Amino acid sequence: MNSNIWLLTFADAISIATTLILASLGAILTERSGVINLGVEGMLLMGAVTGFLVADSSGSLWLALFVAVLVGVALASVHAALTVGLRANQIVSGLAMVIFATGLSQFIGKPIEGDPLPVLIRPIDFGALSDTPFFGPVVFGHDLFTYLTWVLVAAASFYMHRTRPGLLLRATGDAPATVDAQGGSVARIRWVHTVVGGALMTFAGAWYMFARSAAWNQSATTNGIGWIALALVVFASWRPIRAIGGAVLFGFSLQVPFTLQAEQIRILPPTILAMFPYLITLAVLVALSTPRARRLLGAPKMLGQPFVRDER
Amino acid sequence: MIVLGYRVRMEQRLSTPRSLLVMVPVFSVFFALVVGGIFLAATGHPPIGTYLKLVDNGYTSFYGITDTLGLATPLICTGLAAAFAFRMNLYSIGQEGQLYLGMIGGAWAGIALADSLPTLVAVPVVLLFGAFAGAMWVAVPALLRARLGTSEIVSTLLLNYVALNLLNYFIFGSTGFFRDPTTSFPQGRPVAESARLSPISFFTDKVTNTYPTFFIAVILAVVLFWLMRLSNYGYETAVYADSPNTARYAGMNSAWLQSSVLLISGALAGVGGAMYVVGPAGKVDPGLLQVGLGYAGIVVAALARYNFIAVIVAAVLFAGLRTGGNALQISSDPVPIAIAVVLQGAVLLFALGGELFRRNKVTISRVQAAAT
Repeated sequence: MNSNIWLLTFADAISIATTLILASLGAILTERSGVINLGVEGMLLMGAVTGFLVADSSGSLWLALFVAVLVGVALASVHAALTVGLRANQIVSGLAMVIFATGLSQFIGKPIEGDPLPVLIRPIDFGALSDTPFFGPVVFGHDLFTYLTWVLVAAASFYMHRTRPGLLLRATGDAPATVDAQGGSVARIRWVHTVVGGALMTFAGAWYMFARSAAWNQSATTNGIGWIALALVVFASWRPIRAIGGAVLFGFSLQVPFTLQAEQIRILPPTILAMFPYLITLAVLVALSTPRARRLLGAPKMLGQPFVRDER
Repeated sequence: MIVLGYRVRMEQRLSTPRSLLVMVPVFSVFFALVVGGIFLAATGHPPIGTYLKLVDNGYTSFYGITDTLGLATPLICTGLAAAFAFRMNLYSIGQEGQLYLGMIGGAWAGIALADSLPTLVAVPVVLLFGAFAGAMWVAVPALLRARLGTSEIVSTLLLNYVALNLLNYFIFGSTGFFRDPTTSFPQGRPVAESARLSPISFFTDKVTNTYPTFFIAVILAVVLFWLMRLSNYGYETAVYADSPNTARYAGMNSAWLQSSVLLISGALAGVGGAMYVVGPAGKVDPGLLQVGLGYAGIVVAALARYNFIAVIVAAVLFAGLRTGGNALQISSDPVPIAIAVVLQGAVLLFALGGELFRRNKVTISRVQAAAT
């Protein structure tokens, strides 16, 4: 069997991982503040479709990405307003967001269905470096945003674990009453991180559109990647750095069916192979819920709980 | 007098005024229509005209109503499934996959068992097998939730994608049991005639899309409503929903409660899939995939505030949006069907916001500077 193809699959997995990393980083920031946003899948779709539409009419990739981020801010603000402001059930609000955003993306995306992409995100040309064996495709075969994403993860990790606002963020997820007693604003911290998280999610969707998709194809464009990103948050135990490894693993499982098909290796029918990313995600979730793993994980203690001062 | 600003005060209500129980849903629908109207206008469709057409095609014309009731049938089931789990704070979002499995399980019974049975027996058998398949599809998440505490949200959701691919495999990927052997065209093998019900004509000679299964779904909702209200089991789940600790101290078996609620929820969604076999489809059919009835069931349940009777009303309302939306899509000024999904999502978002007013008395007062 050709070993080169598996190397390329691995390189592809690292590339796909960019979406997963960005989306789960958004979810990590949101959940660390104590808010769970299940709307990831919908946010990805909205980022993808608005990015496409803006690029289609303006021809500018940067403007498209910028608008996608704004859309994320707007959608996440709705979630924050409902859950932080109005103390609505976070689970139901997130699901409502998935349904609303999925419907909206299909509604506004109807005219561009199947159209070719107006702009593309291409890998950076490193010249001779890209031709080196192994390191060529794996390290030097990606686009600007993939590298920026790695930097962003490092920055987010530093922010969360080494700065005072990061400490406040973690405290808000674990013990909002303490933050409140110290004079911090639980609502503001939750609001800000939900919105920033949402912006990362739609950006992830727009990146996926321009870097990894062939065309806008309704909800099949992302095909459940948002949900995998949510599972990835658990896998990463709410720590940004760990999301990278998980994202590459999940990215690999997403990519393998395509590789097998391209190589015409028929172990299993393609429809059965397509189940694997989800089954692997589920298996990982199960492994992580054993009591031993749970102790090591450290989910935000007040995740999903609205904070109400007077009731304490 | 100088107004310095406004101050919003919230007081928790002890009981909700009856008027609000009606007002919140009504205003939610109204505001959702406004939001949808903005998107319609922005894409060059007249909002009012579009809505009128939607109402006519979804609720007021003969075929509109009968199509709506037909679509509402499985939607009631998924709505009940979601309500049953959500009211116990078990956020299973696997109704979509359980619905597919219900269709597969029902079709299996319809093909393999129903041949020699009379309709009166065959149809219940198909429905039961659908329920069983739906319950089995949630068995793993239920077990994980009860034993290990694995979040049922993500596990049930991931299985939706597995179910989708399983269905694709049965219809497109294989030439096995569920595939029609008489044609090379990929379609499901028809179930025995005795396992099918004919549509209700409502005293006319027209062929409608409403099947007697609609009444089975309604009866199911009513039975659930009373059963959960009167039975010991209903009481225990209610206690557990309010306070898991209280339930535990009272000696209730939380693992049993959690897993049984999830299994019953799965069975309810599965019945919906089997009703699709008994009614319009008569086989494993990818038509069920296009509609997203599982996810819509969650919206229906939330809008009905997990009340089983209200689920019927919400399901008919939402099915009407969908059938109305279908008609819009094929009219002279085609509006994408997705507008129906936008409206569903928006209704739920507004209903969630409205919860605040239901739970709290909100007063806005002016903050004034002291008179000098």
